[in-house]
Amino acid sequence: MSEIKPADIVADSAIDPGEEKDWAAAKAFFDSLKTKTPRPPKPRYAVTIAVSSRTLFNMTEERKIYEEEGVEKYVCHQVEHEHEPLKPGVAFPFVKALMTVNARLRELYPESEELFDIVLMTNNHAQVGVRLINSINHYDLTIERFCMTGGQSPIGYLKAYMTNLYLSKDSEKVQEAIEEGIAAATMFSAAMQNQLCDHQLRVAFDGDAVLFSDESEIIVKKHGLDTFFEHEKEFENKPLAQGPLKCFLEALGKLQRKFYAKNERLNCPIRTFLVTARSAASSGARVLKTLRSWGLEIDEALFLAGAPKGPLLQKIQPHIFFDDQMFHIEGAKELGTIAAHVPYGIGQKYHKGKLIEQPGGKK
Amino acid sequence: MSLDPVQVMKGQEAAATPAPTTSNGDSKGSWESSKDVYEHMGSTKKPRSEPVRRVRKVEGGIFFPKPVNAVTIAVSSRVLFRTEKEQKVYDQMGVEEYLRYQVEHENEPFAPGPAFPFVKALEAVNTRLRELYPESEELFDIVLVTYNHAHVGVRLINTINYHNLFIERFCMTGGTNPIGYLKAWQTNLYLSADAEKVKEALAEGIAAATMFMSEKQTEVSETQLRVAFDGDAVLFSDESERIFKAHGLDKFFEHERENENTLLDHGPLKGFLETLGKLQKKFYAKGQRLNCPIRTYLVTARSAASSGIRALKTLRAWGLETDEALFLAGAPKGPMLEKIRPHIYFDDQMFHVEGAAEMGTIAAHVPYGIAQKHKKSSNPSK
Repeated sequence: MSEIKPADIVADSAIDPGEEKDWAAAKAFFDSLKTKTPRPPKPRYAVTIAVSSRTLFNMTEERKIYEEEGVEKYVCHQVEHEHEPLKPGVAFPFVKALMTVNARLRELYPESEELFDIVLMTNNHAQVGVRLINSINHYDLTIERFCMTGGQSPIGYLKAYMTNLYLSKDSEKVQEAIEEGIAAATMFSAAMQNQLCDHQLRVAFDGDAVLFSDESEIIVKKHGLDTFFEHEKEFENKPLAQGPLKCFLEALGKLQRKFYAKNERLNCPIRTFLVTARSAASSGARVLKTLRSWGLEIDEALFLAGAPKGPLLQKIQPHIFFDDQMFHIEGAKELGTIAAHVPYGIGQKYHKGKLIEQPGGKK
Repeated sequence: MSLDPVQVMKGQEAAATPAPTTSNGDSKGSWESSKDVYEHMGSTKKPRSEPVRRVRKVEGGIFFPKPVNAVTIAVSSRVLFRTEKEQKVYDQMGVEEYLRYQVEHENEPFAPGPAFPFVKALEAVNTRLRELYPESEELFDIVLVTYNHAHVGVRLINTINYHNLFIERFCMTGGTNPIGYLKAWQTNLYLSADAEKVKEALAEGIAAATMFMSEKQTEVSETQLRVAFDGDAVLFSDESERIFKAHGLDKFFEHERENENTLLDHGPLKGFLETLGKLQKKFYAKGQRLNCPIRTYLVTARSAASSGIRALKTLRAWGLETDEALFLAGAPKGPMLEKIRPHIYFDDQMFHVEGAAEMGTIAAHVPYGIAQKHKKSSNPSK
């Protein structure tokens, strides 16, 4: 629930000054409460990550019940199993890693609100909330903010929370979010999973149509590689337009700089990777120069020139990998990498380089 | 033993020399098209005032082979280019100053380093392979694997384009150990200036060697890749070396004679020789044996009559060939190598590597085996 700001109250002239003072006093009292558990940061300062219940927890069995037997049976089942914690889902390692980073940030900056804040954004019925809360407590996660939308679109809530990243299993919601300018991705579970680092958050990004716009991708698909290389050479010094996940990288960079400021560069618990199919010598300079012009850094840059991303991602072991092409997502999944699809740009109309004949359907 | 006369390419002429009479009727057509490719690439002899970004044409040929099919050579930025000045800035003034310096000098290309001629020769072989097998992905693939931060990437890219190299795959690890990436790239050979990294790679089963910059550099062929290998502890395991070091030469000869028909165990670079052989056979299959752009040499301190047979029989059993075999029986390798002019020479003993470097040969040290504990020279070269 977003906190009521004093400005909102003043705008409403129906409140009399006495009540206003009560509100202000109550707020001041609330703000000054000292608790042992860390307080969730205010959304405008925090890096807000909204996750859906199906990405945080593995709800495949429950989902089956919902699809086969209907909503009543589903809710009944959830209530019956309220005390059984749900199994970890595909975004679970990512969320755990965010908590680790928060712990480090609190050590170095005890008063700061620039932390990760995780919001659970779910379509679920409020009755299921108990099981979700029990599960969250079972795993010791710090998720204090819930939005149980009961079927409504989450977009409005995402905006209200100033969400920096939205993860869901539902590609339609993700697409809506991207259209509204919120960084979002559809998560897919891998068959098996690699061991992940427990003290460092590792986030891998594709380049075109994820960090950058899909302008270059359009040229490749329409005119071929040679024209693309020529074009990139000509416009080497012109920054690419930004893509849906640029702001999330920016948010990560801001937090990274807080660690660098305290001399923790070598021990920084956030590490970012660029894993792009671009060719270094022929088209890589524009990418690096664009990042530089945005004032963004990326810790490791891998230019693959078309080589499969799977084996390299397996080595990197990111907590999440963002890519716009399902082809790469599938390759990553096969080798145990947690992959998230960003349904943006011209890559959606192609599969493995071939135009998909879609009669106006999604993707 | 006869050594081929060194073919040094002057301008574009050498590339257009007519093929031998034994080649098939198609050769003329393919030579014409290859000549066009060379001309589009631009001569490397023209002086340049600032980096010129050439645009390589990649359609109509395989330029991005899958790592599983290609022979992947991973090089570090310090062996591909000369970066001593920048290295000094890093050592003396720290990483922030180093990055700032690199960004400032972004448009100044680096000078070629010790692995540069080797990489150029690999590209020459690739061009020939593409002519003969346009659909095949069995090519050399060069990956730049560097500790460097992405900020330095632009300067590296500018330098690569200035020198007309085709290195499109990069791994800029920003400080992480690059060894894990080597496996993901299915690296067949890793060249670095850092002996620690090379040792780690060898421990992981990847062929690797440390390269050194020598002040003197002889000219090497631009049309034929020449790779020279030491025998023991490079192609073969160091078992024989151990006997020699522990019990002396006579015992060693006895042992070799007794075990003539027992195969030697394989050494760290056997796999690389194997991949070179595989590519060579592709040329032989198209009648190009006399004109093969890959030539391999065995340059060993072994004595032919007393201990040579075992080495040759082992190679034969592995189905491998070297084009030339030199048994030196302890004679200094320097002068021989100077005559051969390989693009790279692998040896496990620093003593030999230094000797080679003194005479201008590009030598690479393979830190494997018992010889590492017995250093003849205490100061390593640059």
